Amino acid sequence: MTHVNTVSFAILLVSFLVVTMIGFGAAKWRPAEDPMQLNEWGLGGRGFGTFVSWFLIGGDIYTAYTFIAVPALVYATGAAGFYALSYSIVVFPVVFIFAPKLWSVARARGYVTPGEFARGRHGSQGLGLAVTVTGILATMPYIALQLVGIESVLTVVGIGGDSASVLVRDLPLIIAFAVVSGYTYLAGLRAPAMMAFVKDILIYVTVIAAILYIPGKVGGWGHIFATASAHLTSVNPATGKPFGSLAVMPAGEWAYATLALGSALALFVYPHTITGVFAAKRRDVIRRNMALLPAYSLLLGLIALFGFMARAIPAVNAGVKAAGGNAQLSVPLMFARMFPSWFAGIADSTVVVGALVPAAIMSIAAANLFTRNIYKELVNPDATPAQEIRVARLASLIMKVGALGFALALNKTFSINLQLLGGIWILQTLPAIVISLYTRWFHRFALIAGWAAGMAYGTAEAYRTSGGGQAHFGASTAPVFGHLTYIGLVALVLNLAVTVVLTPVFRLVRLQDGYDGTKAADYSADPAAAPAPVIRAGVRVPPNGRVKGTTGGPFAPPSARHARHPGPPA
Amino acid sequence: MAQSARSGKSPATRGVVAVLLIVTITGTLWVPIYARSTPKLGDFPFFYWYQLILVPAVAVLCWICYLLLRAKPGRHAGRPGARPPAGPHHGGGEHR
Repeated sequence: MTHVNTVSFAILLVSFLVVTMIGFGAAKWRPAEDPMQLNEWGLGGRGFGTFVSWFLIGGDIYTAYTFIAVPALVYATGAAGFYALSYSIVVFPVVFIFAPKLWSVARARGYVTPGEFARGRHGSQGLGLAVTVTGILATMPYIALQLVGIESVLTVVGIGGDSASVLVRDLPLIIAFAVVSGYTYLAGLRAPAMMAFVKDILIYVTVIAAILYIPGKVGGWGHIFATASAHLTSVNPATGKPFGSLAVMPAGEWAYATLALGSALALFVYPHTITGVFAAKRRDVIRRNMALLPAYSLLLGLIALFGFMARAIPAVNAGVKAAGGNAQLSVPLMFARMFPSWFAGIADSTVVVGALVPAAIMSIAAANLFTRNIYKELVNPDATPAQEIRVARLASLIMKVGALGFALALNKTFSINLQLLGGIWILQTLPAIVISLYTRWFHRFALIAGWAAGMAYGTAEAYRTSGGGQAHFGASTAPVFGHLTYIGLVALVLNLAVTVVLTPVFRLVRLQDGYDGTKAADYSADPAAAPAPVIRAGVRVPPNGRVKGTTGGPFAPPSARHARHPGPPA
Repeated sequence: MAQSARSGKSPATRGVVAVLLIVTITGTLWVPIYARSTPKLGDFPFFYWYQLILVPAVAVLCWICYLLLRAKPGRHAGRPGARPPAGPHHGGGEHR
């Protein structure tokens, strides 16, 4: 693929420039009264209504990697890859249940990150750190995978890929990431929120065009499903078993359901999703969005079908084979072979812009975590809001450089393995975040022990799986009592079991429990259209003081949150 | 589950919301319901068209839940955090 497709590349370049301008322009969008607040940079001032939130959360969840990896999985294994649709269906009712509560408590207490909630709810610095470290670890490879998405597009367009020099080969990627880092640094969450508009218009145009145009050209859906079925039932010489099936086999049903449920629960506790939720203006915005966001799921379903469409195009199959069986190329190749160059350029832009938006949100989420839960917690408890922003901006840069390093220096498979692990890891923070919204029964040290057990088991179990030509980290499912089950979910069950068993034990030995920094009323607080609570250094509110919640809800400023709380009377 | 409902909603409303949400979740996660290729809709095997139709169906059900739980306009501004603090699992009262 030494030939560069000039038209496609030119369109790709124009889209990139447009998005860049929007990104930098976003700094001036809805300027804040007091821009030097972490709320402003890291949560867009907590002022996004239904419309913007829809784009932001959608831009967050459906990443470029999703658009490349899901059809690639369907291309390779058929029905099993469709669990992604199932998961994106089930995620909305699940989030409908939990998210409004989490939003309310975060709003009432001024939390910017899930780590702060865990710390505040259980009065445990260690638990907050556990949630933070898990969040950052899980987010890094996710950002790196966005680069993998961009890379596969560039390979097909004919840019990079062939040069012997690492620097020349990866230069387009480095430039793209430098630019994203620039506007994220300046505009914070406002940048991806605005870019998400462009991203989504591109996505809808591309997907609808592809679904209407390509099937007719390759012989209709009947032919597409027949070709897919023929491929899937043929025997894979590497394993001696069929490649897959057109409908999930009974043996695969349990894996399918646990993957869908586990991924849905994991998605909700990923820091970047929580950042998107926290940025909403009102409680109702979140519920309304859960009814509106499935529009993206429909899109995801259609995108998953791309995998079968690509299978019906001989030129794509040949291209994938030539690239050593890299199914990730199937969708970009399909665009290149089926669309005229100009439209292939638009379709490629979709993937690239679709990578930049979530990469920005993820790095902001990770930066918020670092600032509030590591810098402010351990390094400088008396940090001013201005210092917080400075640290968060730097942290977002470091996250991106780290992710770039990941993507360039390490094997691509390594990023994918880490992302698989990231999903398992992040699921282990569920008891400290989601279940703790409902109950304070868990002992803080039991939660930490459960988290550690889940992390250890999940990592070890994932290491033991083989598949896809890899000896380790080959699959996300492993047999449990004879059924293939999503490892993350098994680890979560173990995590919960440890927590539930240890809680009464720790109470019995009178191990000191943490102080709950939240009030019952926080969980349903809905400071309607009032401005977000503003943190002002020096204002002291007693930690137990009830502040009338008519505008900002009860809110303890950082100085109070970090004051030493009296423990429970022995 | 119904605890996520705003206070001031009747138990019946919360019950309906809980049932609707449970229906959507089981309809998606109970794979044996749709793990087959017939009946076909056009050229689409059942497995695919069921899930594709499930998407708008879940959206509609979530919208109904949202309408059921929606705070009445003009009221939420005056009643922030109106949940009585006596919830059995809420707050740290019992541990203090």
